[in-house]
Amino acid sequence: MTSLSRSDTSAPSPRRPFAKRLLDGLSPSRLAVPVFLLSWSFLVLAPLVVIVLFSFLQVKAYRVVYVPTLDTWVSLIDSGRWMTAVRTLRIGLTMTVIELLLAFPFALWLAKGCKSKTFKSVIITLLTIPFFLDASSRIIVWRSILGTNGAINTALMSLGITDSPIDWLLYSEFAVHFGLLGTHFPTMVFPIFMSIALIDDDYIQASQDLGAGPAQTLFNIILPMALPGIVAGIVFTLVPLMAAFVEPQLLGGGFVDLLGNSVNSALQQLKYPTAAALSTVVVALLGLCLVVLILVTRKRHDMASMFMAIRR
Amino acid sequence: MSDDKIANGLPMSRRGFMESVLSVTAMGMAASAMPGLSQQAWAAGTTVKGYGVTTAQPKDWSRMTKSIGVGIDYTPTNADIGVFMRDVMGNDLAATHDIFIFDGGTEDILGKEGYYAEVDEDHPELKLWARTADSWKRSAFLRAGDKQFGVPVIGNGDAFGYFPAAIDANPNGMDEVPWTTFFEGENVKGRVAIDRSWLQSMSETANYLKHHGRITVEDPADLPPAVARQVADYLVERKKAGQFRTIFTAFEEQVQLLSNKEVAMINCWEPATKEANNALGPNSVIYAFTVEGYYLWGHGAYVAQAAMERDNVDNIYKLLNYFLDGEYRAFQAKERGYAGPNMDLGVQYAIDNGWSKEDVDNLKWSEEKVRRKFQKPFFCKVVPDNADAMEEEWQRFLNA
Repeated sequence: MTSLSRSDTSAPSPRRPFAKRLLDGLSPSRLAVPVFLLSWSFLVLAPLVVIVLFSFLQVKAYRVVYVPTLDTWVSLIDSGRWMTAVRTLRIGLTMTVIELLLAFPFALWLAKGCKSKTFKSVIITLLTIPFFLDASSRIIVWRSILGTNGAINTALMSLGITDSPIDWLLYSEFAVHFGLLGTHFPTMVFPIFMSIALIDDDYIQASQDLGAGPAQTLFNIILPMALPGIVAGIVFTLVPLMAAFVEPQLLGGGFVDLLGNSVNSALQQLKYPTAAALSTVVVALLGLCLVVLILVTRKRHDMASMFMAIRR
Repeated sequence: MSDDKIANGLPMSRRGFMESVLSVTAMGMAASAMPGLSQQAWAAGTTVKGYGVTTAQPKDWSRMTKSIGVGIDYTPTNADIGVFMRDVMGNDLAATHDIFIFDGGTEDILGKEGYYAEVDEDHPELKLWARTADSWKRSAFLRAGDKQFGVPVIGNGDAFGYFPAAIDANPNGMDEVPWTTFFEGENVKGRVAIDRSWLQSMSETANYLKHHGRITVEDPADLPPAVARQVADYLVERKKAGQFRTIFTAFEEQVQLLSNKEVAMINCWEPATKEANNALGPNSVIYAFTVEGYYLWGHGAYVAQAAMERDNVDNIYKLLNYFLDGEYRAFQAKERGYAGPNMDLGVQYAIDNGWSKEDVDNLKWSEEKVRRKFQKPFFCKVVPDNADAMEEEWQRFLNA
């Protein structure tokens, strides 16, 4: 046995095909990671660095002056453009919380409560509508519904509930929040739905068998196990919210300018450094939000586990 | 693995594929090296490639092709300054397009920078140039540095549209309505829409404030930083007072706001009131004659400098001449309410082609309307010297 083992170990291993040896060489630490980091730097980080550098230039008479200056950043404050950053962050966070509060119970019901597979399929299909309908076409419809002569005001006045049209239904922050609600609901629901759907029913059953009430099962079993989906939902909802453009434009009536609108306005006037400075603010705010999210959830969860569902 | 082996398995061998690629490439290079080939190919067709503002295009270009035998491939765009500068300078549109129809004033930069060609006033196809009134063709917004870069296409004095019932005005629309009603009228408070274009809205506000002695400025369309701040302060105050219902962006929005009666007054374009009246009935919305004056604008047709080196110049000048002729004038006035040079030719065209008396009278009215408007102060500068300051102050208004 011993001699056999010795002969086994001393015998030359059969030569593996070249392609297989090449693939073996692509271990994460040797090649894949550096290549990925290099590509990532080139495709994503390099443009970001250029954007940041560009924000330290300025435009005069529609031409970029290639002399470093802080004027563009100062003008963000003077012109009140900085307020769009604050407003965007406020609305982005508010909407993320609202979406989470609405999406979690919905996703829980869809994953564990809805027993009909057909019904579940129909709902999931309906949730994808915002992804394949043009945002402008989808949002502009609300104008004729929310306007002073729109369907809602007409109905309210016909029923004698109000004497005059309610103005704030359109061209207000309410209208913008309302418009954003439908657009970003699926991005919150889907990750939470996936993580809850993957929770083994036996865990829930065991919790009940051990005498836990519905609230205890929810907070001690479902919520911790759904946390990766919740974090993913927050990320996938908050990030696009920070760049929301169509809803504020069409439903805000120019009174609810967000960063996306301000960037667009700057680009229309060829103020590329201003657009770059605003974009830098967006990236910085997003980075800040994600850092806060990581710090808050680090005890129970790490960001990589967002993708555990795929592995499972 | 040999080439033959590949050839056995695939319809084309590696060597054959390379030979084909090289042959096609060589043919392409040879063709491109032949002097004048691209220019000849360009000239072979009669189509002129145009790029410019939406409002300059008639509803049907085929009429023009039937009349002068020249077609146009026109790409419409909006009227932002950035579009003119970005597309012509940054994207080198002159390499692919023959003419641009932009707001008059762009020649101050694009003419001086050599992107626009000077108008060849003696070109044989520009037959109507001599009879075109100087008040149109020599307008400051078609010239730069004593050079003629633009041919006048259409123009108007912009003010605002309103529902006469909302302000107890005469429904025949002949009254002069002050901008005071727009900015401070209690009966339209919260039902006024203002254009998001700072160039138009800030200029109109400045003219109103200047007329009433509340600011001192030489040109309401070009506000020095301190005056721009005063104008923005006033707009912020009116915004906070709840005067404005919305700040709109697009032409379609103007039509929608009027058609569904979301607003009572709006500093829109005149065609928006025409479209709204098509939906609501004649004279439901009036485009105002004002007390304080008008935002004057005119579209000019500019020939790309690069196009003058292509062999399509005759067709380009036929097109320029068409903009001065009666057919274009008549249809632009009828379909959009816009006036332009040689309005008498438009009236004659309508008579010669059996238009109704009402249509002919409307054409005459278009001319009279513009004449009446220009008795008031008017102002416009598409490329203001103080554009940066004005835009920054406008942002302060938007964010207030």
